[in-house]
Amino acid sequence: MKVVNLKNIEKSFGTLKALNGVDLVINKGEIVSIIGPSGSGKSTLLRCINHLEIIEQGTIDIFEMPIANAKEGEKTKYISEKELRKIIQRIGMVFQGFNLFPHKSVLENIMEAQLTVKKTPPAEAKAIALELLHKVGLDDKEKAYPSQLSGGQKQRVAIARALAMQPEIMLFDEPTSALDPELVGEVLQVIKKLAQEHMTMIVVTHEMAFAREISNRVIFMDEGKIMMDGKPDDIFVNPTHPRIKTFIERMI
Amino acid sequence: MESIIFYILAGANTTLRIFFVTLIFAIPLGILFAIGKIAGGKIIKGILDIYTWLLRGTPLMLQIFFVFYGIPQLLGIKLDRDLAAYIAFIINYTAYFTEIFRAGILSIEKGQFEASKALGMSYPQTMRRIVIPQAIKRVLPPVGNEFITLIKDTSLVMVIAIPDIMRNTKEIVSREASPETFIIAAVIYLILTYGIVFLFSKTEKRLSYYD
Repeated sequence: MKVVNLKNIEKSFGTLKALNGVDLVINKGEIVSIIGPSGSGKSTLLRCINHLEIIEQGTIDIFEMPIANAKEGEKTKYISEKELRKIIQRIGMVFQGFNLFPHKSVLENIMEAQLTVKKTPPAEAKAIALELLHKVGLDDKEKAYPSQLSGGQKQRVAIARALAMQPEIMLFDEPTSALDPELVGEVLQVIKKLAQEHMTMIVVTHEMAFAREISNRVIFMDEGKIMMDGKPDDIFVNPTHPRIKTFIERMI
Repeated sequence: MESIIFYILAGANTTLRIFFVTLIFAIPLGILFAIGKIAGGKIIKGILDIYTWLLRGTPLMLQIFFVFYGIPQLLGIKLDRDLAAYIAFIINYTAYFTEIFRAGILSIEKGQFEASKALGMSYPQTMRRIVIPQAIKRVLPPVGNEFITLIKDTSLVMVIAIPDIMRNTKEIVSREASPETFIIAAVIYLILTYGIVFLFSKTEKRLSYYD
């Protein structure tokens, strides 16, 4: 199944063209890393997939259902908010800045959308939350509030919160960029675990070694376009394009 | 002396009634209008902007006069004094609460909205469960100020002859030429406002669990 299918999408912020005609198909089970210099459109591209950014041109299909459509020469139109929400809840997202709910405990953070969106019975939602906390290695933190956690712990809670909705794809937007170097490993470890379970994932990252290790496909973006899309070794070992080569050399 | 105190306390009863009725309506309406100002369409925003501008830009006393004397004449109806006072206070305080809650909601990080949306939560769910609870904590200090101001503002109802603390005090002072009555009134106001200060500091402490 084509989990994500973007065709010729364009997105501007004022006069800046953040995405300039991007085509991208992600199939079920793929683990895709998106790399590239800052401002190249990586995060914007990711955020277009779950409607955090609205595109001006092009079409978006998610789970083979159109969510944004464009007739020839017209601006892109989205399906209704209600229909969108049904699709968005099947997409998990992890943010650079965690975005945990500070007024809710760790357990409540993971239960919240289960209760309000999925209408899961509280006992079941709690069981799922506890199981996920175990999975991300935070068994003893269920009663803690986000402010009492380290960055790495916060991000692991955020991953558990996203997983609680049983998503069919996970989007990671620079999940370790806000972390102290010594906390990066514990978060990457959790993402690796998901990779081993063949979760479909798109990871925007600056961690080149990690991208190479977990992904079966790497995309290099620059100036709002996909410059290269291939196997990790194609990009990391023999980058053909001089821009990619300079970038990789600088990053490693 | 004792009868003086009881007479003024009877006025305090009126003061508190206006205080509570105003808050019961003005707070939820303020939250609702704040959301209207943030998320509403152009027309709703425009109407609410004019509303807060008018109500915050004119004296409360004028508004009380207008509701009690003006509206009945304009519409050819009869308005009970108490009802007129309630209406004037509610529309006035709603305007202030609207602005306070608007600022509170706008102070919540964009990431909270994005995380909620990414989880599939609707806008009303996001507001009710994520944004408003956090906003309330942030606006607690200015809301406390409004509560204190409201206690003191209720004294304005004496201008339409409602027997509150202030009016009863003035009546005694002019009847019995006993200026110490003012001090009794002041003490009652101070007790009421101290109660508010105390309650708010308690609430702030209670909500500090997630700092």
